[in-house]
Amino acid sequence: MTSEARKRRALWQILLLSAGFLALVIVSVGAVLLVDKARDHSRLVVHTVEVESQLSNLLLEIRRAESATRAYLLTSAPQFLTEYQTAADNVLPAADKLAALTADNPVQVENYTRLRKAIEQRLREFARGVDRVKNNDVAASITALRNGTSTDAVQTIVETSRTIRAEEGRLFAMRTADADRTQVLASAVTIAGSTLVIALAGISIFLVRRSSRARDHAEEQLRDSNLNLETTVDERTADLREANDEIQRFAYIVSHDLRSPLVNIMGFTSELEELRGDIFRRIATLARTQSAAPQAPENATDTAEPVLEGADKQLSEDFTEALGFIKSSIAKMDRLISAILNLTREGRREFDPVPIDTKELIEAVVTTMAHQVSEAEARIQIAPLPNIVSDRLALEQIFGNLIDNALKYLKSGVPGEILVRGRTKLGFAIFEISDNGRGIDPKDHQRIFDLFRRAGTQDRPGQGIGLAHVRALVRRLGGTMSVASELHKGSTFTITLPIDWPSSNRNTRK
Amino acid sequence: MSNPVTIIMIEDDEGHARLIERNIRRSGVNNEIIPFTNGTAALDYLFGKDGTGLVHKGNALLILLDLNLPDASGIDILKRVKENGYLKTTPVVVLTTTDDSHEIKRCYELGCNVYITKPVNYESFANAIRQLGLFFSVIQVPPAAT
Repeated sequence: MTSEARKRRALWQILLLSAGFLALVIVSVGAVLLVDKARDHSRLVVHTVEVESQLSNLLLEIRRAESATRAYLLTSAPQFLTEYQTAADNVLPAADKLAALTADNPVQVENYTRLRKAIEQRLREFARGVDRVKNNDVAASITALRNGTSTDAVQTIVETSRTIRAEEGRLFAMRTADADRTQVLASAVTIAGSTLVIALAGISIFLVRRSSRARDHAEEQLRDSNLNLETTVDERTADLREANDEIQRFAYIVSHDLRSPLVNIMGFTSELEELRGDIFRRIATLARTQSAAPQAPENATDTAEPVLEGADKQLSEDFTEALGFIKSSIAKMDRLISAILNLTREGRREFDPVPIDTKELIEAVVTTMAHQVSEAEARIQIAPLPNIVSDRLALEQIFGNLIDNALKYLKSGVPGEILVRGRTKLGFAIFEISDNGRGIDPKDHQRIFDLFRRAGTQDRPGQGIGLAHVRALVRRLGGTMSVASELHKGSTFTITLPIDWPSSNRNTRK
Repeated sequence: MSNPVTIIMIEDDEGHARLIERNIRRSGVNNEIIPFTNGTAALDYLFGKDGTGLVHKGNALLILLDLNLPDASGIDILKRVKENGYLKTTPVVVLTTTDDSHEIKRCYELGCNVYITKPVNYESFANAIRQLGLFFSVIQVPPAAT
């Protein structure tokens, strides 16, 4: 799975999650708002009902007043007068209540104004009737009643109340519808929101499951490829080891087989040398006998070394010179072959890992070099060093070679300063051996590690083996080494070695 | 000695053989030297046609052996000689270019009597051979056993 796809998937999940939350919030807010609105509508419905009931109440009170008035007119009984009074007193407050209830509706206000006028007129008529009875003018009252002067008012009351009722009925129907709609909307919103949330949750779960499946798959693949990698590494290591062994065997055999003819060359050169002695002795003798045959007997020519002269002498010297070159070349070649042999032998040596007090080891190495140190007027400083588990002999050779090099290639006339430092990093110990010597040209940094190669002024004895040997050792110990240096500015050799002996190290082979 | 010692020289390099012979002679040893330049011929001679080594019963031999032979390993020859009932008392001088300590140890373990590394330095070489000649002249070589 590419990282882009992974990123996209993560983005999708975040988006889905956000969308889910957003939907939830919208649904909640919508539901709250809608419920609120539904309550408002319900309240209005109730209000309408209240108005209607108040209207009925009012009309009832008017009827009661009217009945009481009529009863009083007929009977003149005082309890009817009281009843009339109570009813008449209740009418206007009831009307006020109605007015208060309908104040929000201009249509009703207008209706109410009309109603109120009619009511007041009716009340006045009642009052007049009652007054006539009080003045014992019952007949006039009855006449008045019969004339129906109050019919207009009654009519108005009836009509107006019908209008009010109709209006309220309309409002009631409308408000009920509104309330219903709001409720339906609220539940619709809730259902839609819940569905959306559930759907989003479903998609999220699907995505999460898919990504976890992908992750499992990737993990499996990783495990597989890890295994593969290990196998591959093992195979490669085995191959390399084999190749290395082969190179070592090759070097070993070649150096041996080279040495064999060398023995011959050297042997017969020496034989030639002896022959040369014989030949030139004979030449001298012959020359002498030729030139001075008569006086030969008395001189003890047999015992004394015959002396060559002129061209013969030159010839003899040329011969010697040639043989000298051959012999010195053979000697050099022998040294080189021995060096290769030693290197391959070192390469085959088995390591013996032990815990090593590195500082102590280097101090011991330095002690064996005390003579060179004092001769070079050098000072060797050893800082605290990390201790490691490694092969003692190998470490002695590594540090011995490096310190020896540092002493060997100091600047003449400048007191040497050699510093050995150490630190640890990620399971490795890093050692630095720095000097203030003549330094190494950066172009030679690789070359100095090659076998038989040297750099700089060749004024010191050496075969060009030390650093090659050191690097081979460091590698076999599972470490690396490098150099930082500039001409005339000293050198720093850095060696990185594992602190603990790696179990897979190449000490197991022969 | 009633039965003079025969020196068997197994050396593939004729130059080396010549040098060895010369230096042995210079040290005053005049025993017969039979040179072989490969292992097969030497083994044929040593063990005879029947391969038992019976042919040399009663003969006093001394073997000069090079380890690096073209057709056989000197170590194998050494092993076979030392395992053979008739030849095992025969002194074997390993004379070779190999100076590997493992190899030297191995040869002594197998019963080699002297191990000499051929030095490139001719003086040492000649010296070693002459010493060997001296050694030849003083050692008692038993006849091949019964």
